[in-house]
Amino acid sequence: MVEVHELTKLFPTTEGGEKRAVDGITFQIAAGEIYGLLGPNGAGKTTTLRMISGLVSPTSGYARLAGVDVTADRESAKRNLGYLTASTGLYQRLSPRELLRYFGELIGMEDEAVEKRMEELIRWLDMSEFANLRCGGLSTGQKQRTNIARALMGDPPILIMDEPTLGLDVLTNRVVLDFIRAEGARGKAIIMSTHYLDEAELLCSRFGLIHEGRLVGEGTLSELQSRAGRTRLSEIFLSLCGKEEHVLDLGVGLSHLKGKGS
Amino acid sequence: MFRRYRRVWVVYKKELLETLRDRRTLMAMVVVPIILYPALMLILVEALRKETGRRQAERYQIVVPDEAHKQWLTGVLTRDEHERKAIETVRSTTSTTAADAGMDMAGGLRATLRAEQLDIAVAKKGESLWRLIQDQSYHVGLLIAPPPDAKRTDDDVNHVVQFIYRDTDPRSEFVHDRLNRIFGGESERIIRARVTKATGNAASLEPILANSLSTASPSQQYAKILAMLVPFLLVTMTITGAMYPAIDLTAGERERGTLETLAVSPVPVGQIVAGKFSVIVTIAMLSTALNLGSMSAMVYFSKLDRIVSSANMARQQESVAVEHWIEKGAGGQGGTFSQKDYLDRRRALEVEAKEKVGFLTKAAPIVLLAMVPFAVLAGAVMLAVCSFARTFKEAQNYMMPVMMGAIIPALVVSYMPTIRLEGLILVMPVANIVVLIRELFLGNANGSAMGICLLSTCFYAIAAVVVAAKLYGHEAVLFSDVGSYKSLLLRRFIRPQPRPWPALVLLTVAILFPAYFYWQSFLVDPSEGASRFRVVLGLSQVLLLAAPPLILSWYLKLDLRETFSLRAPRFVHLMGALLMAVSIVPVASMAGQWIAGLTPALRPSDELFEKQASLLTSGSLWTMLTAFALVPAVCEELLFRGFLMAGLRGRLSNRWVVVVVGLLFGVFHIYIEKIPIVSLLGMVLTLACLNSGSIFVSMIVHVANNGLGLMATKSVALQQFFGLSDSAEAMALDSRTLVFVGVFVVGLLLIALTPRTKEAAPPILAGPHHVSA
Repeated sequence: MVEVHELTKLFPTTEGGEKRAVDGITFQIAAGEIYGLLGPNGAGKTTTLRMISGLVSPTSGYARLAGVDVTADRESAKRNLGYLTASTGLYQRLSPRELLRYFGELIGMEDEAVEKRMEELIRWLDMSEFANLRCGGLSTGQKQRTNIARALMGDPPILIMDEPTLGLDVLTNRVVLDFIRAEGARGKAIIMSTHYLDEAELLCSRFGLIHEGRLVGEGTLSELQSRAGRTRLSEIFLSLCGKEEHVLDLGVGLSHLKGKGS
Repeated sequence: MFRRYRRVWVVYKKELLETLRDRRTLMAMVVVPIILYPALMLILVEALRKETGRRQAERYQIVVPDEAHKQWLTGVLTRDEHERKAIETVRSTTSTTAADAGMDMAGGLRATLRAEQLDIAVAKKGESLWRLIQDQSYHVGLLIAPPPDAKRTDDDVNHVVQFIYRDTDPRSEFVHDRLNRIFGGESERIIRARVTKATGNAASLEPILANSLSTASPSQQYAKILAMLVPFLLVTMTITGAMYPAIDLTAGERERGTLETLAVSPVPVGQIVAGKFSVIVTIAMLSTALNLGSMSAMVYFSKLDRIVSSANMARQQESVAVEHWIEKGAGGQGGTFSQKDYLDRRRALEVEAKEKVGFLTKAAPIVLLAMVPFAVLAGAVMLAVCSFARTFKEAQNYMMPVMMGAIIPALVVSYMPTIRLEGLILVMPVANIVVLIRELFLGNANGSAMGICLLSTCFYAIAAVVVAAKLYGHEAVLFSDVGSYKSLLLRRFIRPQPRPWPALVLLTVAILFPAYFYWQSFLVDPSEGASRFRVVLGLSQVLLLAAPPLILSWYLKLDLRETFSLRAPRFVHLMGALLMAVSIVPVASMAGQWIAGLTPALRPSDELFEKQASLLTSGSLWTMLTAFALVPAVCEELLFRGFLMAGLRGRLSNRWVVVVVGLLFGVFHIYIEKIPIVSLLGMVLTLACLNSGSIFVSMIVHVANNGLGLMATKSVALQQFFGLSDSAEAMALDSRTLVFVGVFVVGLLLIALTPRTKEAAPPILAGPHHVSA
């Protein structure tokens, strides 16, 4: 469903040089799979997701969504995509209902289909209480639920989620995780990037560990465990990117990282 | 087709709804015109009225050196009071109509000084008047030389009145000013008395009585006032109205984090930008309409128009009428103006005032219509500029130079009434619209000038919208963390591309157009001799038409072969080009005459054009052909069939590329009467280049058209060969002409129906660099 091949992105730096933000990343995601793209800040996760969703052009390589090359036919590729980030904003002066109607019409849905889908999502995400209020006055959790509904309006086969639970309270966090799991079970291909490795362990069926723009490890949890000789994702990550010793040298207490395999 | 653009409507509906829910926009669009203008006007009028009332209620202290001065001054004030009361009596007997309202209001805002307001004191012996005024004990001091003498008749003596006052004290200044006027009136009365005494007829005071009559109708007089004020105010208010939606829909959206969501939707950026742009224009036009309506209402209800125009005129006529009436009533000479005449004049003024108010109502729709292209341009420029900004605040900073860039020329042009809608003004953004509205008010606008003005404005607007679309979804603008604008501008960050993009070519042409227009209109001076004319004309072609696209293509790492269609033509296309080349002169001449017949208003009439045409054929054949056939043809082909055509090919269908490139080619040829035929020629050349894939095909035809056309003006044999006629009558459609038409059509068909050179796929070195095309 999602095919990423040798995706590379270079950015100009203020010193006049070039920074290799993403360096030849390759992976595939099948329908029904939840893929966790994990890595520290600045590793290149967001840039990778933006290239996959057509917001940023790759310097080289390509991404295909449901067989459509994102660079060559951006509009068709985006039809298969639902996109959600923690920083995604809402139109402050529209209500969630107006917002969903807008995005439904924008992706070319017929009026009847828009209304039906909108009511479905409002029910499913328990939004009826605030569906007619202005988005500007909603709580963070209500906003994120509205955003999820927005991403799902066209019922796309692929979902890209960049830090979807960042800054959410426990209850909303649960709603979002349940939703991701449910959508995966419905056969959607989901790519998710997060800092919360516990969440990723619970949700994702496969992982891509990214460090300094390169994919340092890729596979299921058991594949990664056997390769790194560690059990917890955090330990596997440190091991694969060669940072474990460095962290120990710094004297940082790694008791929370040191699991059974250490 | 409409279904394809349904999403523009979806974006439009949503943005309009959201914009109308934005308090800032409503403030700028509704509150300012509907509440602020009338409120400001009311406050201003009320403040003036209060000030007048206060001045008329106050008492003022005057100091004179002795009792004789006091008596003299009291006498003057009494006579002035008598005259003023006489005027008031006339007004009270005639002021029965509504037309007096404006004049009354005007009068009400003008404070008068009455005798009972003045306390005249006599200074003590040895007291200095200077010191008394300096100490602020009195408002004004008066010294009269020679000192007044009760035994003498003042009418026989000339006096010098020395005022002592403080011009920094408003009360002192007011008394000084009003007393000055009273003394002026007294002086006139004395002169009249002296002349009447000497000659028995005061009419000899006016040996020449100048009486002016303007042929301008009341509407035109009113239009003159409106023409000065309204264009500037409307331009300012349209920009203000468009500013907030422009910022909110671009930088505001980016700042709120909704742009990312929109950019990831499967909607072409062009359609999103078109929807947003339509909202900005709608809001700008709503703002314009509300402002115009509010201004009209304010003018009407405050009777400002009568204060500004009628009242001035009426006041003059009134004073003349009253003066004559008083003279007549006092048994003076020249009393040919009765109270009935005066009343009739006042009634006529009332009709005029009504007509003038009616004019604004009639003019408003025309003015609104003329503001549409400006609103389109303002909206487009603001959209493009705001597309660079990442935050609302940043966009506001960017807006300042844009506002200044629009308001300053509008202000300058508003106060230069001699500027007409001609020359560079025709294509100068903002200034052309301000002058156009003024000309519309004055009834001077002509169709062709209006056409160029509106076309050029629309063209700039399209270029700005396309640039906005290009920038809108660009990753450097979308995400601050993925690079800076350097990636857009510095050559080393630019990735090679096969062809220019529409925004680039339209922006280039939009910038080159006024520059080329200016060069052609002002720098190419036929009176400075043929050789200089050739050099300046040639330089304009090389520097403004050929160099910019070539330099840009190099800098932006475009594929020169693909951009300028630099390919050898197929043999069959070459043959087609040659057939067209040998027949284009008679065919173009026939088509030109045919078009001229259809559009008689566009027949060449410009003296400059005639003079330039005569210079084209001066000098040796070689010089003439190089300067006017080869260089222009090559340069124009590089810009139009090369750069412009390549840029538009990525966005428009071939049919529209032919039409747009042809029209722009026509518009660049300055003279309005040449536009239709040159546009047609441009379309043919574009079609030839597009189908053959080789710029050399259109170059051959272009060079032949220019060269053979010029040679034919020198060679009678060639004229006869082509069957050209000097007369204005249409060329006869004889067998010779038919042969030329046939040859031309065969040539065109050879090019149009034969596929272009088979070649490798365009050298796409990499995928498109930007999010949007």
